[in-house]
Amino acid sequence: MMTELIKIELYKIFKKWRTYIGFIAIGLLVAIIQTAMYFEGQKSLDFMTRNLQDSFLFVGNLLNGFFISYLILNMLTVHIPFLIALVAGDLLAGESTAGTYRILLTRPVSRLQVLSSKFIAGSIYTFSLILWLAIVSLGIGAILFGYGELIVIKSSTVIIFDRNDVLWRFLLAYGFAALGMSVVCSLAFFFSSLVENAIGPIVATMAVIIVFVIVSAINIDVFSSIKPYLFTNYILSWRLIFSDPINTSKLLNAMLILLGHIVLLYGVTAFIFKRKDILS
Amino acid sequence: MQMISMRKLKFVLLSLMIFITMSEFSPQSKDPDEILDGVKEAFKKIEDYEVDIHVKIDVDFLKVPDSEAKLYFKQPNKIHVESKKFALLPRQGLDFSPLGLISGKYTALYEREDTIRDIPTSVVKIIPLGNDGDIILSTFWIDQTRNLIIRVESTKKPTGTFTIDFTYEKSDDHYELPSQMEFTFSVDRMMFPRGMDGQLDDDDDSNKISNSTTGKVYITYTNYKVNQGLPDELFETESNKTK
Repeated sequence: MMTELIKIELYKIFKKWRTYIGFIAIGLLVAIIQTAMYFEGQKSLDFMTRNLQDSFLFVGNLLNGFFISYLILNMLTVHIPFLIALVAGDLLAGESTAGTYRILLTRPVSRLQVLSSKFIAGSIYTFSLILWLAIVSLGIGAILFGYGELIVIKSSTVIIFDRNDVLWRFLLAYGFAALGMSVVCSLAFFFSSLVENAIGPIVATMAVIIVFVIVSAINIDVFSSIKPYLFTNYILSWRLIFSDPINTSKLLNAMLILLGHIVLLYGVTAFIFKRKDILS
Repeated sequence: MQMISMRKLKFVLLSLMIFITMSEFSPQSKDPDEILDGVKEAFKKIEDYEVDIHVKIDVDFLKVPDSEAKLYFKQPNKIHVESKKFALLPRQGLDFSPLGLISGKYTALYEREDTIRDIPTSVVKIIPLGNDGDIILSTFWIDQTRNLIIRVESTKKPTGTFTIDFTYEKSDDHYELPSQMEFTFSVDRMMFPRGMDGQLDDDDDSNKISNSTTGKVYITYTNYKVNQGLPDELFETESNKTK
């Protein structure tokens, strides 16, 4: 029964054209970034490594598909939330707007089953968006730049990973990014259960993310103390995977916090939805 | 009392001046140019070579896997490096050519005799003339019996002081060429510019790295092929231009 419900929800999601905005936007952005890097990437890479090049001779190609994919993942995980909220914010509120809530809930399935199927479908959309990001980043990267060693430049250290030591890190990083985006999906889903129009959840989700990101970025003692409690602080923790050695306890901690947010937001949404007075 | 102190001071100053003058103009027991020319001449027998190199980098702000490459050299200073993977190589002393290490106009001073790894060496200081180069001062430990540079210590602007230690063994062609090179350099902790995404990854262990550090690069040279007649075109290929 659940499988059927999820299939129906997925059909509803992928029937709407707005669902494809995310895929088109990511495809376009990645293509634009890759093209720009093709023409200007070497200059930028030389600028980033100029201190190192004073002492060392670089032999080989560091401007490769892995490096570009790493940059894109850095850039886009901050901006993808809007594309997630666009769909997840509509999952429950959309039924209300369309006036199909009552018809949906008169079927012989529990409210929790309906809610779960919608949540799972939303999560599948989120994961597919990250999967699409991975495919276009690594795929176009391979065609345009080929593959090689990955250079990761941190504020005071430089790590160069062997090409055979990179792909598994990317798979884990994309998985982690999907987890982070699932929190955004849960948040939009939660807001979606409160209102009857999809615009509200989308705007509210983005507002929360923007406020959290700004608070995280400002180095004031008051904000520093609340920073560990903001989920946005852990969305970019996939970067820990590109460290040597990987700080596994910090990574697991970030994963648990993100998972905790998903469980909590889903729990609160279920609580609200079960008691919701359906009027449309 | 004050008169005695003044006299004492004058005596000390006079003694110092005599000592400095004597040491400046005392005849050197060895001719530094002769020592250096011996090294240059010995190396001129090697017109070109190719060699496999294994590079291991030990710098606390730099985590790089060991790399393998092939180094081609042709007199007087042509270098070409080929590597299937990315390789990070020290800019100094890679080709261990004395002509490269002792280039341009300079003043040479014989300093003393010293022993490095049980090898008796002559220590020669080189002060480059003019303002063209980056090297401020170099010290060479030279094995005069084999005319080989055993150690080089140079102060370079702006990167600071570096030391290169060479270990030699006879190649199959009976040329004495380095089998190992240890490049030691002191560097200030590097700060890297912001990435193209406008932000840098946080450094988990940035606080653990001291402001000044000593880095080491170990290069192992194997499978020398000397005087094979390497073509000039080899040194004009694209990979050679890689920064």
